[in-house]
Amino acid sequence: MSPSSPGTEQIDTLLWIGFVVATILIVAVIAGLLYALRRYRAERGAEPRQLTGGRRIQARVGGALGVFAAAILVVSIIYTDKAREAPASGAAGLQVSHSEPLKIATTGQQWLWRYDYPNEAFSYYKLVVPVDTAVELDLVSTDVVHTWDVPDLAPKRDAVPGKTNHVVFSADEEGTYFGQAAALSGQAYAAMRTEVEVVSPEEYEAFVEAQKEEIQAAQDRVVGLIERGETP
Amino acid sequence: MSVPVKRPEIIADGFPPRRPRWVEIATSADHKDLGRILITGSLGFLFIALVELLLMRLQLAIPENTFLDPVTFNRMLSLYGATAIFLFAVPLALGFFYYVTPLQIGARGMALPHFGQLGVWLYIAGATVLYSGFLFTPTEAGVNPLAPLSSLAFLPNNGVDAWAAATGLATLGFVLIAIDLVATLRKLRAPGMAWRRLPVFSWAAAISSWLLLVIGPVMLAALTMLLIDRNFEGIFFSGEAGGSPLLWQHLSWIFFTGSYMLVLIFALGTIAEIVPAMARKPLFNRGAVIGSLVAIAIVGTAAWMQNMFTAPIGIGWMYFAMAMSLALIVPFGLVFFNLIATLVGGTARMRAPLLFAAGAIAAIAVGLASEVSHSMVALGWRLQHTTDSTAATHFALVGGAVFGGFAALHWWFPKMTGRTMGETLARMSFWTMVLGTLLAFVPLFLAGAEEGQVVDAYKFFSGGAIDTYNLIATIGAFLLAAGIVMTLVNAILSREGGAATGHDPWGGDSLEWLALSPPDPHNFDVLPDVRSPRPMRDIREAISRRTRRAEQPARESQPVA
Repeated sequence: MSPSSPGTEQIDTLLWIGFVVATILIVAVIAGLLYALRRYRAERGAEPRQLTGGRRIQARVGGALGVFAAAILVVSIIYTDKAREAPASGAAGLQVSHSEPLKIATTGQQWLWRYDYPNEAFSYYKLVVPVDTAVELDLVSTDVVHTWDVPDLAPKRDAVPGKTNHVVFSADEEGTYFGQAAALSGQAYAAMRTEVEVVSPEEYEAFVEAQKEEIQAAQDRVVGLIERGETP
Repeated sequence: MSVPVKRPEIIADGFPPRRPRWVEIATSADHKDLGRILITGSLGFLFIALVELLLMRLQLAIPENTFLDPVTFNRMLSLYGATAIFLFAVPLALGFFYYVTPLQIGARGMALPHFGQLGVWLYIAGATVLYSGFLFTPTEAGVNPLAPLSSLAFLPNNGVDAWAAATGLATLGFVLIAIDLVATLRKLRAPGMAWRRLPVFSWAAAISSWLLLVIGPVMLAALTMLLIDRNFEGIFFSGEAGGSPLLWQHLSWIFFTGSYMLVLIFALGTIAEIVPAMARKPLFNRGAVIGSLVAIAIVGTAAWMQNMFTAPIGIGWMYFAMAMSLALIVPFGLVFFNLIATLVGGTARMRAPLLFAAGAIAAIAVGLASEVSHSMVALGWRLQHTTDSTAATHFALVGGAVFGGFAALHWWFPKMTGRTMGETLARMSFWTMVLGTLLAFVPLFLAGAEEGQVVDAYKFFSGGAIDTYNLIATIGAFLLAAGIVMTLVNAILSREGGAATGHDPWGGDSLEWLALSPPDPHNFDVLPDVRSPRPMRDIREAISRRTRRAEQPARESQPVA
């Protein structure tokens, strides 16, 4: 996996921190256990000392563990805040008049993703976003809970019916990124995939215009047929 | 010259059973019979859960496999989750609590035996409803059927209703058993058995029972709402009509997180019995271990929102859940530290119970350490809903319920049957299970973290190392299953063919080893005054003191008058 947005880069760093923390904890427990089991075996005539422990060693071990946990908490909050911070659109990105991110309404439905762009164009399955631009997906669902997940670009988020969820990201490089829905949503769940195409701002503008015209043309054709009294 | 005392003749046994044995057991309100029903039943369902797991792993052995169609896969997944949690892990823990606790506290029975009896029968009823699948269509909604997938609109057949009824019956049964355990622990402790002298396993029983009294009703309320939604046009979990799908997530995760903690508390309580007895030392820092188990129950359950990092909830709640999860490092760390410190300086006898206990500690440590990384909020956004979280949960729960449960089985099997389980088969089973667990779940960690393979999916698409990881995981699952089946076979064979043991095969410290193996219906003929947390050791020492005194030779020189 190759993180391609400022947010996922933070998450990738945190992944390594999490990996190190987990390894430390696992190694500490298992190494201690193996040492104690190998070193202190039953021997003929050996009578163990009946130690019951003491308050001081308990307070020390507990305190050390508490400090360790608190340190992880602080580090995690720092990285999480960085990861969820709305990225500013860069120089190469789409220049919008205000500092708001590019908002794209994202709707999960069994078993497709629908993306509604600001100019009333929409697309299914494939999302096209400009590079180096802050994009905010407003996730809702028309049916069951779906999880939108394109791991290289953004943290995963649920689309829940009746409540809007948000995910913000800004893609570093042009390219195509794949994702797969990550919450069981019925029969075709495993086939519910999506694709994010990151393009230059000009290509993005061209795409949404073309998409809009195409939709408009299709609609006009039907409306024209009706107006002419023909059966569409 | 002594005059022989004329004793009255009392015959306490020898009455022929009035009814066939199975009728006696099936209608018994004796805690030992009920405990054995729970333990036997849940081990049977462990086998069934394994079959379901293997079918799913076969489907996921190669990319885009068509061995199972999506609907069948989702049914297997749903049945597997319900079986593993409601019919195996929780009832296994409760079965051991129910069998052992009265013996450990020196009680002659339960305080409310018919509550426990009804609880066991409700568990059996729940299992029957879940597996009467041929009468209706099984649920396809997954391990935790998130609303609104569980609603009538999306799954119109009766599968979800049956799931809700089955898990509801079982949960109600667990709550009744918990009420009985709480009452027994409060009222029927032997003279001198103060709370501070209570064995750690009985403490685990008390903590788990109180935990169930809190989380059980929450689940029952959620299931009732689900049934109302589905059958009486309720809107509790509907997104549009004023209800909230998130309400289901909160309520169900409180229960699932709580029962996860319950399984771990059961395992740690068991290990805290086995390790001191096998090392022939007292448990290091007993008080801290007990306090840690209490903290795990409270703080662990309070971390339920750790499962909802991707849901539309405020970031503050996510930080709260993370703080609770990370705070668990302290009590779990203290328990592990004290268990290892108990071994230090001891004389460990590496018999099967200690072997499985060590396996449980290692597997739980791997699972919980991975959960620590999942609770780091931003990292949770990446790792949750991937097979990485499947692997973490399975490490912790296979460690707790299977390794921990098998440690308990090997430990108390002599008490229940009067025979020990075969040591050779136990060792073979253990090492097969260790290898199987590593092969089955470590690749899933990698597939989730590196490749982002999503959870619960009936197929995956080829690409990168994901194919290899899944193939290894399938092989590992078969090895794990083979190891588990070895222990189940060992238990069946040893019931009749194991080496006969006395009442105290391990040199245990608690009072269950005073009773006969298997114990009489009334458990104890006489009860000692409990004077320490290790009453059985006190009894052994008193006996050896008296024996030494009796064996002392008469003095050679008699005083001259």
